[in-house]
Amino acid sequence: MMSLGWRRLILVRNTALVAALALLGAGCGGGEGGAGEDGIEVVPIGFVGPLSGGAAYYGQNVLRGLQMAVDEIAESGGFMVNGRPHRFEIVTADDRYLPYETSTAARRLLQQEQPSVILVPHAGGIRALQEMNLREPQFLLIAYTSEPSVLEAENPMTVMFPPRFDGYQEPFTRLLMERFGSRLAMLGTTTAYGRAWTESVTAEWTRQGGTVGGDHGVDYNTTTDFTGAVTRALADDPDVLFIGGPSQPTGLVIRAAREQGFRGGLLIMDQAKFMEMLQIVSMEALEGALGVYPQEFYPTEGTPGWVARYYERFGDDAPSATSEIAINYQGLHLIAKAMELAGSTSDPVAIRASFSEAARSVPDELRIFDMTGVTETGHLERAVFAAHVLNGEFVPIQIPVAGATEIR
Amino acid sequence: MTLFFQQFVNSIALGSVYALVALGLTLVYGVLKVPNFAHGALYMAGAYVAYLMLTTVGAPYPVAIAVSIVVIAAMGGGMEFIVFRRLEGKSSVHAMIAALGVLFFLEGAANVIWGPDFRPVPTPLDGVVTAFGINITEQRILVIVAAIVTMVGLYMLLKRTLVGMSIEALAQDREGALLVGIDARRTALLTFAISGVLAAIAGSLIAPLVLVFPTMGAVVILKAFVIVILGGMGSVPGAILGGYLLALAETMAGTYVAFAFSELIAFALLVLVLVFRPTGLFQKGV
Repeated sequence: MMSLGWRRLILVRNTALVAALALLGAGCGGGEGGAGEDGIEVVPIGFVGPLSGGAAYYGQNVLRGLQMAVDEIAESGGFMVNGRPHRFEIVTADDRYLPYETSTAARRLLQQEQPSVILVPHAGGIRALQEMNLREPQFLLIAYTSEPSVLEAENPMTVMFPPRFDGYQEPFTRLLMERFGSRLAMLGTTTAYGRAWTESVTAEWTRQGGTVGGDHGVDYNTTTDFTGAVTRALADDPDVLFIGGPSQPTGLVIRAAREQGFRGGLLIMDQAKFMEMLQIVSMEALEGALGVYPQEFYPTEGTPGWVARYYERFGDDAPSATSEIAINYQGLHLIAKAMELAGSTSDPVAIRASFSEAARSVPDELRIFDMTGVTETGHLERAVFAAHVLNGEFVPIQIPVAGATEIR
Repeated sequence: MTLFFQQFVNSIALGSVYALVALGLTLVYGVLKVPNFAHGALYMAGAYVAYLMLTTVGAPYPVAIAVSIVVIAAMGGGMEFIVFRRLEGKSSVHAMIAALGVLFFLEGAANVIWGPDFRPVPTPLDGVVTAFGINITEQRILVIVAAIVTMVGLYMLLKRTLVGMSIEALAQDREGALLVGIDARRTALLTFAISGVLAAIAGSLIAPLVLVFPTMGAVVILKAFVIVILGGMGSVPGAILGGYLLALAETMAGTYVAFAFSELIAFALLVLVLVFRPTGLFQKGV
């Protein structure tokens, strides 16, 4: 129900913005935005991602985080750029999670709304836009992905918010090997991202001296029954099972494994979230699991306040406050701060240059993460935690920052 | 060897659901002469009705299944009455496109009503039975038994009742059936309603084992389509055997080759059957 209201709201807002721009004519072009009814200047923030198709749920979670920050900023009277108050408006284009549609959708968005910042929530789409964001019209590309190749492109106009996924494998492997043993069976999802994880877990597990069985991965989005694949993976007699894909199907895989008598550890890729898996399985079934820390209980000072505000805004029956929502929420406040410091809402180069300082100067009441800066390659740096389920409790494990370079 | 038997048991449970969905598809094919892709949406809707009954209403599982059967049978009948009846006498391409249209329409409607979220369905049967080193959950036992009961029921209906015999007659020889005075419209309506019953049973049986989401039917209907071709278009025994065969082929290929290939198997089989035995493995014999 929530999602319907959301989509409609965004649609209405889009339409209103287009109408406002049309009425104001060419005067408000160049991305500086037009003044809203409240006299506050409106800055468009682009979102190109899945709004229909199998990944729509994911896209809506990302939007929910962005929208929460948009509303908070508007309610607090906006952020100041050159002494004038501004607020954001999310302008969206649907790419159905297909990288080849991301560029087309982004081009349309740039033409119609002139955003200076565009957020894309999947690696394929991000890489597609990295091919065009340095040409006119330039824009700042916000990458919501944990795929390190986005950073390796060394695109000076990209900022990646989430932690790199290659930071997890080393501590995950070490802990689980120590607790359960050295045989690993592979049962990850077979999307491009899932395969990248499978490869890096295989490499790390072998590097630390363990043995890895065959790859029994299946596509978590299209598999009707996981029992067969789980039976096959368990036939390798593993101590630890590598699993992961969307949270709920991952829950089904865990259920099938426990039903078939598997008592070992679970190495879970970062796409799956504990709180959503708990809709399918009990905490008991998660014993010995290692995955990303549940956002609702993230061990940072700002988390409890943010979680309270989230449920106050969306109601108790809203989807759980996942990292998708938290990181994008935090990101939008960060963009506002960077624009404030840059003294511009339309110059992507100046905005990018202010990001590191912005990361340190987001006010305490809006900070969920302990951000310390943005690296040369465009990665937002902060403390990252994983959770190890030990005797029915989430025990925080700090993840070392992988590939950290000096902070600009 | 335990692995083999465990996988065999796993595929029988999966095959039961495949077979139930394929049966509805093959019955309607007999009357309409086109694959009714919208049947996947009936399966999805059946799962949603069971989900609503079990969670929002809090009804016991048998009641949830019964309500799902009634609602989806009505939906199936309604589909015939509103859409396919009006396409009578037109080329079968019209009906095929209409069927796809109805599938997308209902998927879209589910997306608007419930959102794209994966919904877990609580099962009252969450125990596991172990015998000879082989595990099976109680819910899967229910799926297997209920599927067999349904198939026997369907067989009795087709062979022993007037309605069933008119369905068979229409499928075998439309003109002949009309000549002996079978009411084609009424029979078509009933066939769609029966296919709805089958979809509802499949959907509400599998709901607690999987997740309920708007596009869940699209995945299964493609498999069912393969099964119907495998077993022979319009053949009832073919749909049943084909269902078990496909599940077995997928699981065993996954076990002894790689699970990444199991999705390929269905469509590889489809191509092979179409090339070498286009009438299906089991000759048409409703």
